Amino acid sequence: MMLARVADSLYWIGRYVERAEHMCRLSDVMLNATLDRTDAAAQVTRIVQAAVGDPETDAVMTPYEMARSLALNREDHGSITTSLSRARENARQVRDQITTETWERLNLVYLRVTGDGAAKAFQDGSSNFLNEIISDLHMFKGAADATMSHGEGWGFLLLGMYLERAQLIARLLKVCFGDDKQPPVTDHSALTSLLRMSCALEPYLRRYTADIQPRLILEFLMFDEDFPRSLRFTTSRIAEHLAGLGGYMDHARHTGPERLAGRLKARLQYADVANLQIRDASPMVGTVLDECAAIHSDIYDTFVAYSLEMRLPA
Amino acid sequence: MGYRVAIAGRSNADSAPLPYDEMMTAEGLVRPHYSALDRRVAALGDVELAERQRTLERFFLLQGITFTVYGGESSTERIIPTDLLPRIIPAEEWAVVEAGLTQRLRALNMFLADIYGAQQILMDGVVPRDLVLSAPSYRREMQNLFVPHKAYANVCGSDLIRQPDGAFAVLEDNLRVPSGVSYMLANREASKRTFPGTFRLAGVRAIDRYPDMLLSTLKGMAADWRPNPQVVVLTPGVYNSAYYEHAYLARLMGAPLVEGRDLVVHDNMVYMRTTTGLRRIDVIYRRVDDDFIDPLTFRRDSSLGVAGLFNAYRAGNVVICNAPGTGVADDKAVYAYVPEIIKYYLGEDAILPNIETYLCREPAQLSHVLANLDKLVVKAVGASGGYGMLIGPHASARERSDFADAIRADPANYIAQPTIQLSTAPCLIDGAIDARHVDLRPFILSGEKIVVTPGALTRVALKKGSLVVNSSQGGGSKDTWILGSEEA
Repeated sequence: MMLARVADSLYWIGRYVERAEHMCRLSDVMLNATLDRTDAAAQVTRIVQAAVGDPETDAVMTPYEMARSLALNREDHGSITTSLSRARENARQVRDQITTETWERLNLVYLRVTGDGAAKAFQDGSSNFLNEIISDLHMFKGAADATMSHGEGWGFLLLGMYLERAQLIARLLKVCFGDDKQPPVTDHSALTSLLRMSCALEPYLRRYTADIQPRLILEFLMFDEDFPRSLRFTTSRIAEHLAGLGGYMDHARHTGPERLAGRLKARLQYADVANLQIRDASPMVGTVLDECAAIHSDIYDTFVAYSLEMRLPA
Repeated sequence: MGYRVAIAGRSNADSAPLPYDEMMTAEGLVRPHYSALDRRVAALGDVELAERQRTLERFFLLQGITFTVYGGESSTERIIPTDLLPRIIPAEEWAVVEAGLTQRLRALNMFLADIYGAQQILMDGVVPRDLVLSAPSYRREMQNLFVPHKAYANVCGSDLIRQPDGAFAVLEDNLRVPSGVSYMLANREASKRTFPGTFRLAGVRAIDRYPDMLLSTLKGMAADWRPNPQVVVLTPGVYNSAYYEHAYLARLMGAPLVEGRDLVVHDNMVYMRTTTGLRRIDVIYRRVDDDFIDPLTFRRDSSLGVAGLFNAYRAGNVVICNAPGTGVADDKAVYAYVPEIIKYYLGEDAILPNIETYLCREPAQLSHVLANLDKLVVKAVGASGGYGMLIGPHASARERSDFADAIRADPANYIAQPTIQLSTAPCLIDGAIDARHVDLRPFILSGEKIVVTPGALTRVALKKGSLVVNSSQGGGSKDTWILGSEEA
């Protein structure tokens, strides 16, 4: 049993923290790729720009300006600072529900990005700055895992994290392989950058060796069973956590979001991976994005914003 | 030692008595209960002290022990300034405070039960009827309502000051939604880290049971037929300046922290919205002012409260702590009558004296106040937090004449007190130890019985010479060590 508002906040902490970590990686990979004056640099910049979903593409920004704004701009709703501020704001609202160790980790990274030294730290070494945020967030996740009860609240936190992760990776795949206006990415360094953005380079190399191919990357990021950022892995966790949360309901019935998540999980689990082709990316990723959006709104209808008439005591 | 010189060199131009110093006697000797701390501080030296002060501030910042300052478009979070040198009170002095506070709260609860019941004290003319019934904090809606154990003010935080002769007196009773207890607990955590050895040897009484004492007080307010009462903490929300405290108490009690929007009233029962449906609530420890708890009964424009809450309370299906309407007993004008109130109900003299108070509603006292504005502190009856007051000796002639006009326009709204010298205590200010004025806010719980927490929040006026300790006006705080008696 937990307050609906608290569940909502924990869910959003998970989403914002995941988003911040992803944006750090995107910025860092982009800045790194644009150090070389290659064609790949322009492609990587385009990928990041499209993945961030910045509608105002007219504004001409250098990759450095873009990364800086993505990191520190408080006006930008998608920036790392905004995500972390919102995660922390939500944590403050449920301060009684999370352990002190977990709170301290999140507060620490918040103080790092909003503190007076943030702009200078970014200027002095953007890569260092971004990677420190990533490792702070890893410590946050570690502290949460090690100190919080793995009960209902934990379920909402992880549900938010995995749902956000599925959507972020799916969007990245759509931009790279399923964009109607652009040919699929084939450039070797751009593909390596894509793997880095998904934190997948090393696991990929171990699985497929240094044979970097679009089809294999698509296969890995969509269907790998064990890689924690593949769509199959994330949707499987979403289904698992929703099943767990359904168990807290007074009457045992499969909730709306649990059904949707189970179906999506099965689709990815039993997909015809052997005959996968790049042109399948667009419809498949599109389905994942649509289903994730439907799961999100069903979570609200079931746990948070349900109508009172249905739940009043008899 | 700088502090000894500073204390020894004090003088008062107008030959008023010098303020009592918590550490040094008038003869310039260190009081015995301070000697261990004094030696430890001297051994550490200023540089190490400053380092420990920084560690302490970092601890507060990381824990998020902050309050929000709103200004213009942006808002910033600040830590409440906290001083690392504890204030120490010996056992025999505390025994008087404890007895005095217990007596006072017993009488005030009886007063509230009477005011909202038969009103015997008004009929007997001990307290003027119109003074009570016209007070803005008097709630007609509470008339003849059953309150378990007649415990109206379940949580009370009284403000005490130490007079020049060393005796404690009550400056103010806070019976509405007193705050600061989380700072008391956080300061204790911090000072255990700062002076572990001195702390252990001093035999300081523990305060860490406050949250479970609070929880059992609250549970004790629930109806007998609800064996496992659900207690919640009701907060105005994350933007309230005391939000940290609300979350802290909820966490340490294991009670859900709810906002008005989490609650619904149906058939005069109060429920909270959970992920698995609605769940009944028995006791609400509310940290929302009377005015805002129920838009149907009190302020209509309140979005912090719960529509129908008061009716559920009236029906006996939920308990609100503190009870609505307790504010009438800490009204600044009613305050002047508390010694008589104690005498009336308990037949005893007040153990802790009041500060002499002039009621501007009485014509004779009004003219005395207007003639002596330069010596008095004048307070608006309804205001709190250090707002709406004039400190005569520190005000300009212009401020005094403006205030005099305000008093003449609405005399019943003002009281005046002589400028009281708060005691001073050593504080670390800009790297050196100096004297600052302090007060004392102990916390008292009342349910089936009355319990005084053996600890307190010592509030510090950080500006040199200032007597204003409120955190909204640049005040800070420090830990307060209540020493155990020899036998214990």
